[in-house]
Amino acid sequence: MKNVFLPNSIEEFRQIWSAVPDAVLMAGGTDLLVSLREGKTKVKNIISLERISELRHIDCSGGEILIGSLVTHQQILDAPIIAEALPVLRQAASLLGSPAVRHMGTIGGNICTASPAADLLPALYLLDARLELHTERTKRTVPITDFIIGPRQTSLSEGEFLYRIRVPIPVPNTRAYYFKVGQRKALAITIASMAALLRLDTDMTVLEGRFSWGSVGPTVLRFPETEKILQNQKLSEPLLKEIGEKSARLTEPISDIQASADYRRMLVSNFPLRLLQAEKYTGSNGKK
Amino acid sequence: MTEALAPIGTVLTRSDASAKVQGCEKYAADYYPQGMLWAGVKRSAYAHAKILRIETSKAVEVTGVAAVLTSGDIRGSNRVGVPEMDQPVLADDKVRCKGDPVVLVLAENKKALELALEKIEIDYEVLPAVFDPREALKPDAPLLYEQRPGKNLLLSGTLERGNGAASLKDCKFVVEGRFKLPWQEHAYLETEAGVAGINSEGILEITASTQTPFRDRNELSHALGLPADKIRVTAPYLGGAFGGKDGITVQGLLGLGAMHSGDRPVKMWTSREESFLSSTKRHPAELHYRLGCTQDGILLAMTCEVVLDTGAYAALGGAVLAMVLEHAAGVYRIPNVFIEGFCVYTNNSVASAFRGFGAPQGLAGIEQMIDLLADEAGIDALKFRLKNAVNRGDTTGSGVLMSNSTGIISCLKKVQRHPLWINRQDWVNNAPAFKKRGVGTAAGMQGTGYGPVILDIANAKTELLPDGRFRIYSGVADMGQGNNPTNIHIAGEILNQAPKDFELLQPDTGSCLPSGSSSASRTTFSFGNALIGACKNLKERILTRACNLMMGAYFENLLLARGKVLDMTSGREISLQAIASSMTEQERISIFSYIAPAAKHPESVNSEIRFLGFPHRIFSFACHLALVEIDELSGEIEVCDYLACTDAGRILNPQIYEQQIHGGIVQGMGYVLWEDFRIHNGDVLCRNLATYILPTAVDIPDLQSLAVETEETGPFGMKGVGEIGINLPYPAISNAVAQALGRRIYEGPLTAERVLKCLNSNPTGGKSED
Ligand SMILES: Cc1cc2nc3c(=O)[nH]c(=O)nc-3n(C[C@H](O)[C@H](O)[C@H](O)COP(=O)(O)OP(=O)(O)OC[C@H]3O[C@@H](n4cnc5c(N)ncnc54)[C@H](O)[C@@H]3O)c2cc1C
Repeated sequence: MKNVFLPNSIEEFRQIWSAVPDAVLMAGGTDLLVSLREGKTKVKNIISLERISELRHIDCSGGEILIGSLVTHQQILDAPIIAEALPVLRQAASLLGSPAVRHMGTIGGNICTASPAADLLPALYLLDARLELHTERTKRTVPITDFIIGPRQTSLSEGEFLYRIRVPIPVPNTRAYYFKVGQRKALAITIASMAALLRLDTDMTVLEGRFSWGSVGPTVLRFPETEKILQNQKLSEPLLKEIGEKSARLTEPISDIQASADYRRMLVSNFPLRLLQAEKYTGSNGKK
Repeated sequence: MTEALAPIGTVLTRSDASAKVQGCEKYAADYYPQGMLWAGVKRSAYAHAKILRIETSKAVEVTGVAAVLTSGDIRGSNRVGVPEMDQPVLADDKVRCKGDPVVLVLAENKKALELALEKIEIDYEVLPAVFDPREALKPDAPLLYEQRPGKNLLLSGTLERGNGAASLKDCKFVVEGRFKLPWQEHAYLETEAGVAGINSEGILEITASTQTPFRDRNELSHALGLPADKIRVTAPYLGGAFGGKDGITVQGLLGLGAMHSGDRPVKMWTSREESFLSSTKRHPAELHYRLGCTQDGILLAMTCEVVLDTGAYAALGGAVLAMVLEHAAGVYRIPNVFIEGFCVYTNNSVASAFRGFGAPQGLAGIEQMIDLLADEAGIDALKFRLKNAVNRGDTTGSGVLMSNSTGIISCLKKVQRHPLWINRQDWVNNAPAFKKRGVGTAAGMQGTGYGPVILDIANAKTELLPDGRFRIYSGVADMGQGNNPTNIHIAGEILNQAPKDFELLQPDTGSCLPSGSSSASRTTFSFGNALIGACKNLKERILTRACNLMMGAYFENLLLARGKVLDMTSGREISLQAIASSMTEQERISIFSYIAPAAKHPESVNSEIRFLGFPHRIFSFACHLALVEIDELSGEIEVCDYLACTDAGRILNPQIYEQQIHGGIVQGMGYVLWEDFRIHNGDVLCRNLATYILPTAVDIPDLQSLAVETEETGPFGMKGVGEIGINLPYPAISNAVAQALGRRIYEGPLTAERVLKCLNSNPTGGKSED
């Protein structure tokens, strides 16, 4: 028999968790329940966080967007502040799962599952998100790159949970994109993905370029050396190709039932060209 | 309030819609009889192994376990399947594929069931296994059935016409192609499910999700050793089937369980994973073609070799092979032909019926060959098809005489006149950066019914109820496609009553009459014709009785109206209730048998292939058009527009007709683009719906469906529409993709990975346009 606890507040949650320290946390359950059904995870006690409204807020303060760990993907889609300040996160959420999954699944769950294929992660890596981790007594804030240490592995210590995600608002005139390839258009596990951020001068000279790569390594990957290639260069097809090809060589994809490692590398090589497509589109139509 | 009658040819809201959308329709999986036990099976862990010992004692001891049964507990032959009875209910001497059921457990709850299944120990002697049908045909291949004279060859067939292969050398243009088609999983919403119990009269009652309740009863009688009159099978609405429930799934296990449950009902319902492991699939196929034509594009010669992997048991594999051969030359006049087919046992999952029943495989081959050849001859693909397509009276390359309505040329012309076709070049030329566009067509047909030897008989029964309403005793299961509402529609038209005046009893071997399977595009054709006969007889009986009751009335002046009979000359009326009360039960019931027309022309094929259905007499036809856009950066294919022109005879209900066309196309798109059911060394790699990729709503474009309504001998001029839609997305989309890429991918499905690899291996194909 499994016990499921449903605390109504953070205080109640802390009390329960210290009484049943072996309990597993559940947010939307869209990862946890799948893994329980497959027998991959065995648990006796579950603490469901769904009633703790404090964890469901999206705020803006001090140049940062603060997103509670229980914020659902649908909330990310619906929040005007996200659309305005972090459109790339919104774009990633829009490509995640299906309407049902987006209503149940949360940003905290997506991060704590720590799957290299998780769709919000490339955007969070790109934006240098930091995570507020709480225990009953302690609070710490760590960069997301330090939090996720391997496939399905995090640096959460015992009794620690993800309280909130802090995302710095990018400086004006940056554009960011998320591109994903899955086996179909919805309800698709990511085969490979790229989030990219560009700050361009009016003549298309790149002031800053960042790239993060999903599902082509043990965690989401960034290659700062490769990013530098762009600096002060004009955005062009050969340049983007170079970024793609160099990055592809640095990735460490696996072959699985969704796709081969080869195909994943090919996607990485090609992804940056999508930026050209997207930037051209913006240029000629002035929309999007 | 007047209840509107719904004339044939107009939309009649489905009588099953309301209950289904409200979630109150009771499917087989929804039955939880009082005091029931859960049934579950221990399945084979090996693809091929001898069973040395089965140790059940630890399982028996688990609290809550009611029975642990092995093949030794089966009194009958322990074999099911038609026509070849080769599949054990529980494996006896050996297992032939992973997932073979070996031990049946009955338990109070699922926990106890699972625990007991874990505690069963089976000692196997692992045998060499074979997973490739060509390997299985080699003389030294491991044998699945040591005693079979044909060894691993289930069935082969040869069709030879004219000078056969020799005529290829007389052709101006010849092309060759080898195609590899994947397995396809039915993936119905409702996995295999049912309940069973022995009633107070000692009758084994089974309610199951089945397309074949009457055939099931006969097979169960044989396998379990019970007389057929001691078995009753009922088939409520199915939550989908597509051929995957054409025959026994859990029924044998349920029956066996109920016979050893201490008079308690038993229930079995497979999980998605178990369903994927144990259910049948569409036959994977290898096709090798040569096709040639004259200078003017007139088809002259064809050779084709077909190899089907039927897996560990025959199921309907032989009949599927017959259908592949019949459809392998498509809708064309080809005078010189040599077609050869092999259906082979392997230690893979069992392949059997799947919507289209072999036609999708045959047409995927020939229709891609036609495009290759048209290209080679420099003739527009649609013109090429029009030059060679059959009219009524012609014989196809496979030797099938088109004796009945043949609307393929009208379908082709309808596509040719459509703006999507006329403006195709502009559309292709306007592909955006990093995109390639292509347009493809395909044409084909779908044979209806069981073929020339096995009679396609339906027996309908209708009753005038004491209250003046009517009851239809359906002999054919409704898998979701709408047979039941259509039967009410048909009966309503003949008896001039509103849909509400009918109740419909779903197939029940205890009270309905055997009418064959719900399959083969024949369900409405055959049962509908029988129903018309039964309703007409009943109508005549009602009017005759009205003459008896209304003195001075004459038959020809009487009108059967809603709830009453009206004498048009006098204006007098008599209610149907009054008429019913004057009748004995026998008089109120009308029965009619209908036998579908079968092909009579002389045989051009071996007798086994003929027995298994070659050739058909009545065909539906279609021509499809697909417009695709390929992303050069990822290989992803987007189907942007899709048009189907279909000749399935007259339309009874435009809504249900369109649903069948749309559903068929979507399932066909899944077949060609996404549904890669992978089995490796007998291991099912696609364990669930996360790894078996079915299309979602956003993957499918708006579908356009146009009808060519030829007149046929089905009810009100109809022909079957349930399967034709699935036959052509494979070749139409493959042809469009080939046009876009400038080269063809011969192995399906056309996943983005295959497309990108193809693009990257092509020196010109990988470059963007600018
Ligand atoms: C059908 C389906 C489709 C999907 N499609 C996608 C997709 O396209 N892209 C994608 O990225 N994902 C997808 N997912 C995975 C999943 O929906 C997401 O990862 C989702 O964001 C998980 O959130 P959740 O709230 O449901 O997590 P849960 O399942 O509740 O939790 C996941 C894990 O995180 C832990 N956890 C949750 N919250 C906290 C917290 N606050 N502190 C510490 N630990 C915590 C849990 O203990 C658990 O180990 C899909 C899932 C399903 C079932």
